Amino acid sequence: MRKIIILISFLAITFTVFFSACVNEDSIKYQRYYSDGLQMYKDHCQSCHMDDGNGLASLIPPLSDTTYLKTNRKMLACYIVYGLSNTITINGKQYDGKMPAEKHLASIDLAKILTYITNSFGNKQGIFDVKEIEKNLIDCSRDTVKVVI
Amino acid sequence: MKIPSLLVLFTGSLFLFACNSAPKQLPILGSREPVEKIVNGKTVIDTVYQTIPAFSFMNQDSAIINNDSLKNSIYVADFFFTSCPSICPIMSKNLLTVYEKFKDNQEVRFLSHTIDPKHDTIPVLKKYADKLGVKGTQWSFLLGSKDSVYLLAKDGYMSYSKQNDSIPGGYEHSGYFLLVDKDKRIRGAYDGTDKNQVAQMSKDMDILLTEYHKK
Repeated sequence: MRKIIILISFLAITFTVFFSACVNEDSIKYQRYYSDGLQMYKDHCQSCHMDDGNGLASLIPPLSDTTYLKTNRKMLACYIVYGLSNTITINGKQYDGKMPAEKHLASIDLAKILTYITNSFGNKQGIFDVKEIEKNLIDCSRDTVKVVI
Repeated sequence: MKIPSLLVLFTGSLFLFACNSAPKQLPILGSREPVEKIVNGKTVIDTVYQTIPAFSFMNQDSAIINNDSLKNSIYVADFFFTSCPSICPIMSKNLLTVYEKFKDNQEVRFLSHTIDPKHDTIPVLKKYADKLGVKGTQWSFLLGSKDSVYLLAKDGYMSYSKQNDSIPGGYEHSGYFLLVDKDKRIRGAYDGTDKNQVAQMSKDMDILLTEYHKK
């Protein structure tokens, strides 16, 4: 009986240690992406979408529409890479300006930028992985970029 | 022994107060040259300051804006283009806060010159103004020929703008706001991308306006 108890508690401890190690690794990765993403946001996005993500009047949309960013999660990488020229509705307001393409950005950069955006300005979507970005980019280069409103 | 030191302190603070209450004036920027004038039979030397050369451009409502239409206002001038992906949005956002402050004050005008006349036609400028939330004539988005605008930027405002296909957007220009008084002299230059400098400009505009109200 005693042996069983010892064994169980040993297993429980080992499991907890492994599990917490994993969690930590994930959260470290998330934090790294987020802080790198902030820097890259400053370089590539901030001059239009502003430091508070609020955009500019009716010209440049804010990045605070959590529903839009969630529904279009799969398209976000493509919007950055190929730009946007369709009319989109953000927070109930229409925007028809042109978003310039940022074709030079690597998938890892996109992952970091999107991790930052989708976890700032009231968003809370968790990490964007490089693999997810690569898949999204392949998917949308097959179809023409469509905007889901 | 104590009394003299108190006296010194008192006199000192008086001087200090005197300095503070002295009316602050903005400097006059740009080149200047002395000219000899004959006043009442005597030769005096006067200073001629650099002024903004005469211009005539069309705004977003197809109205002509020239030196004459600005004679009773101080104004802020800047250079931009509507499809600009770099510094223009933040400049517009910063200028918008100043515009809101001086809204409906007919002594204060704003002139944004497009440096991309090929793309920024009157309807494009109109749409930009509307979307920015600018109404009326206080803030004009001006269309002029490329040469005349670039020359005005260079010679008039000591600013610069030119076509450069190697940068995003295709045009480069300085991000300065130039504050011009009613006599067309430049009284201040502020980095339009810097919130603090724009706040300073807003204060300086108050100072400049009081200059005219005292007369």
